[in-house]
Order: sequence, then C-alpha cells, then structure tokens
Amino acid sequence: MEKIIIKGRPAMGGIVEAPALVFPDSLAGNSGSLQDKTGIIMEKGNPNRGLSIKGSILVLPCAKGSNGFSAHFKAAKISGVCPAGWVITKVDSRLGVAVASLDVPAVADFEEVDPVQVIKTGDWVKIDGDTGLVEITRNPL
Amino acid sequence: MVKLTAYEQKMFQGEMGEFKQKALEFIVKYAHVLGAEELCEITRATLFIGAQHYLDCFETDDYEEIFSQFYLSSDKKIKMGRFSDNCVCQTCAAACDLSDYVTTHLSKEFFDRDRRFLEITKQAGVNIVNSCTPYYVGWIPLMGEHFVTTESSNTLMSNSLFGAYGNSDGIEAAVCSAICGRSPLWGNHLKENRYGTVVFNIQCKSDTVYDWDLIGYTVGRYLPFSEKPIISGNFKRPNINKMRQLFSALATTSAAEICHVVGITPEAHTLDMALGGKPPKKIINITEAQYKESEKMICDPGSGEIDYVNIGCPHLALDELRDVAFYLEGKKVKDQVEFLVWTDYATKAMSDANGYTKMIEEAGAHVLTGSCPVVMKEESHKHAKAMVMNGAKQAHAIKAQTKAKVYFGDIYQCMDAAVRGRWEEGEGWRK
Repeated sequence: MEKIIIKGRPAMGGIVEAPALVFPDSLAGNSGSLQDKTGIIMEKGNPNRGLSIKGSILVLPCAKGSNGFSAHFKAAKISGVCPAGWVITKVDSRLGVAVASLDVPAVADFEEVDPVQVIKTGDWVKIDGDTGLVEITRNPL
Repeated sequence: MVKLTAYEQKMFQGEMGEFKQKALEFIVKYAHVLGAEELCEITRATLFIGAQHYLDCFETDDYEEIFSQFYLSSDKKIKMGRFSDNCVCQTCAAACDLSDYVTTHLSKEFFDRDRRFLEITKQAGVNIVNSCTPYYVGWIPLMGEHFVTTESSNTLMSNSLFGAYGNSDGIEAAVCSAICGRSPLWGNHLKENRYGTVVFNIQCKSDTVYDWDLIGYTVGRYLPFSEKPIISGNFKRPNINKMRQLFSALATTSAAEICHVVGITPEAHTLDMALGGKPPKKIINITEAQYKESEKMICDPGSGEIDYVNIGCPHLALDELRDVAFYLEGKKVKDQVEFLVWTDYATKAMSDANGYTKMIEEAGAHVLTGSCPVVMKEESHKHAKAMVMNGAKQAHAIKAQTKAKVYFGDIYQCMDAAVRGRWEEGEGWRK
C-alpha cells in the first residue's frame, strides 16, 4: 500500500489514526454550517454537506466565516461528536481556538506541501501531534 | 514554550484564583497551538454569550457548570469570579431581543434563561450591550490597543478602521482573554503581520451600502487563503456604514481579519504603505460581472409571494433607522408579512426619542434589538415560506437553516417587498 509522509509543526500533542475528511474550501463558522448537536455539515455548497465530523481527521487549509467557528466544534464535542484530529495547512486564530478547545492531536503550518492537495477524503491518516509527522495511506477504493 | 511574565506566572499558579487560572491555562494552550511565544494585554472585549444556541448541547441548566466546561475547558465546576478589571467587557449579538420574545416566536423559558445567564456574567463584569456593531455605541479600541471580539465583522472593523490589534479568536478564547486579560502575542497583534498582500482593484459600483456588501462578498470569494486584502482602485469614498457592510460580507466568504482600504484606513494612507513597501502577491480586479455573479449567488432567482423580511445585518445605525422611518411613512406592511428591523437597544432608545421607532411600527414593522434570525436560529423563522434579507452575511448564512426561498436586496428593496408582499425579480439583482 502506498504511504506518503509529510511534515508540519506539532500543534497539539498525541498520536491518532483515522480516515480523512478533506475541506478544500474550509468550512464556514457561521451558525448552522456545522450542526451543534450532531456534528453534521450543513453549509450550502460544501462538498462534505450531510457528512459528520465524528471520528475523522479533518484536513483544512484554514478557517472561514464567523468568529463562532470553534464554538460549533466545541458544542459537537460536548454532544459526543468529536473529530479524531486535525491537519491544517496554515493555522489561523479561528482554527487555533478550535484545536485548543477540542484537545485532540493536530499538525499545522506545512511549508513544503499543502495537505489539502495531498490528502483525499477517505485516505487513512496517522498524525503525530508531538513530532508533526503525518502518514497518509491511500484509500484503495 | 510560552514565556510568561512574573504577573502571568502568579495567575498561572492560581494565586489570583481558580477562575483566572483556568482562563489563562486555556490561553497558554491556545498560544502553543498558534506557535506564539508570549502573551499581550487585552483591554477591550465583546463576547457572544448568554443562552446562545451553541449551548443547547448541555442538559444541565447550571450556568457555572456550563461556563466551566464550555469556555474554561474544565470538567470541574469552577466558581464564577471576576472578568479582568483592566478590560472593558460587553456582550456581542444576543440570543434574543432584550425584552420581546413573542415577536420572534421564542419561548419565555428561553428568554428567561438568556437573561439569567447575562445577569450572572454582568455581575462578573460583562456589560449587557447586545450589539454586533459596538462601535456605534462607544466600544472603540484605539490604534495599537489589543482587543478580542467574537464578532467577525468587528474584528475587521477594529483592526482595519481603528488600527487596533486583534485576531478572530473564537468564543472560548475571547471569553478566557476577557477573564485573564491576556491573548497570544501572535498574528494581528504584531505590526509585521498586518501588511496587506493582495490588491483588489474596485471597478464595479461602490455607491451604496448594498454595493459595499457585494464588494466584501466578492473580495472574500477571490481572496486566496491566509492572505490580507487591500481595497484599491477607483471606488467612491465610503462612510462607516459602508465599511461595516464591506467587513461583514468579507468575513462571510473568507477568513480575513484585516482589510486595508487605501486612503480610508489608518495603515493605508497609500497603497505602498498598506503593502509595507513589498510588491503584492497578486492583483485582482473586481468588475461589474463579478459583482453581479455574487448577487446571483446570494439571491434566489424568480419572483413570488414573501412572508418574512429582515433588515439590520449588521445592526443598523441611527441614520439608517431614520431613513427606514421616512421611507415607510404613509406605507403599510402587507398583512401576511413579518418585517423585522434590527439595531442595538441604545440606538433604539435614540430612535424612540426621535420618533423613528413609532413611525416604523405604525407601518407594521418591528424594531428589535441585539439579535438576528441567524443567531436566533430555526425556532424564530421556521414558519417562513419566502424571505427577503438585507445583509449578504444574513442571506448567505440563513440558507443553512431554512428551505425557504431567500431573496437579497438593499433596505429599500426589502421595504418595497414588505409593503407589496412580493419579491419582484426585475427590481432585485437583475435590475
């Protein structure tokens, strides 16, 4: 199985592996874009609309939309719907708060490659939030 | 590793109480995520708190328990202490109007819960202001002052127009910053990160608040990730209401936190100053075609009956309430139409004193304060079959909450639709 390893800055410690959910155009932070209780993506035009963030490694270029961005992820976590980890091309304040608030492993600030271009939804991704290493195994389907 | 001052060390070790300790712990963790090396002092804050819907995930009604878990990230219940005495703290957009829950179809139970939560934080040092446009009623951070705000358009306004320093921190961090008086010294808190990188040449219309709404929406659509826009070109000189609309829409389609407007904002006397002497990474023209494309993206096609009209996203200024009052004079809102006009309650008091509120209400519209349909969520507008909105942010975001048709127009098109009970396509974006 083809494995790709990329490296970013360790942003939140811990090791986790899970399938990737890639947001090429990020996710709007406005109320309703991510359902607070179910963690289901509702943003119109988002390729992941209808899917849940639960148990996935979320791959995003950065945040977008309302400053409330992190609160919707936090509400989902309190409702028992939490992503497994984060891979972020370039961290910004909205996403930084979400990472600190959810307390799951995260790697951010990639300089040589853009993880949003490299990782496809459904790929198996292992992230190490202490070293910044991200190991990608292609989804054979 | 985040370097703390002696004062911050004491707080971190709990010498100033558990409330401040937990808040600072979160800010230090957040600083680590960002890669910040030290903290800066925060002296102004607006906070999106109260019984907001993101708290619907809790079964308990114990606010200290909710507050501890949600904002302080603490499973242990922490006794509510004082917010920072050196920080002017106030509430941002509210979960409902300050006194009227009936007009917006919310329950007394929800209203009471919101007031109870707001009273608790007021006792702890957060003024109840309930505004997403706090600069209209005196919350103005000065040039170089470090602030936090949970309102994305206010992040842009305060950074860009006032030259103050702040990031789009999000609710948990903003609350913790307002408690401990610190935020990571990172991003827009550092002058070297504040220069513009992408130049937008405005070639489309720029006369009205509506035009600036569409300019903001369009610039946001074309802004590459992680870049900082500069508005340049042959635009008409905007006022503060137009800046508000530009920033509100820009924060809807992008993650921009600062936006220089050449000749208007203090860090952009010239294009070269806005760029910090560096060449732009990209130059993008905003043409009439792109403007119209944005209109088409926001406004549903066709004409038809409407039953819900909303204006005031972001909250209207007194001069706009006056315009609404005089435009509606002698007119009547169609029977089946619910017409909401949003401002903050301090501005409403001025509108009351000037007789504008009475004029608007005599026409059959409601002047409400502090909130909006998107923030109140489905409960307040689920009965609507077809909506007319001003504010690209509102029209864009409401689509995630409704299956109703959503038409988008300026405040005059909204008022015409409310009086007629119909949206006419020819008078909207295809005019």
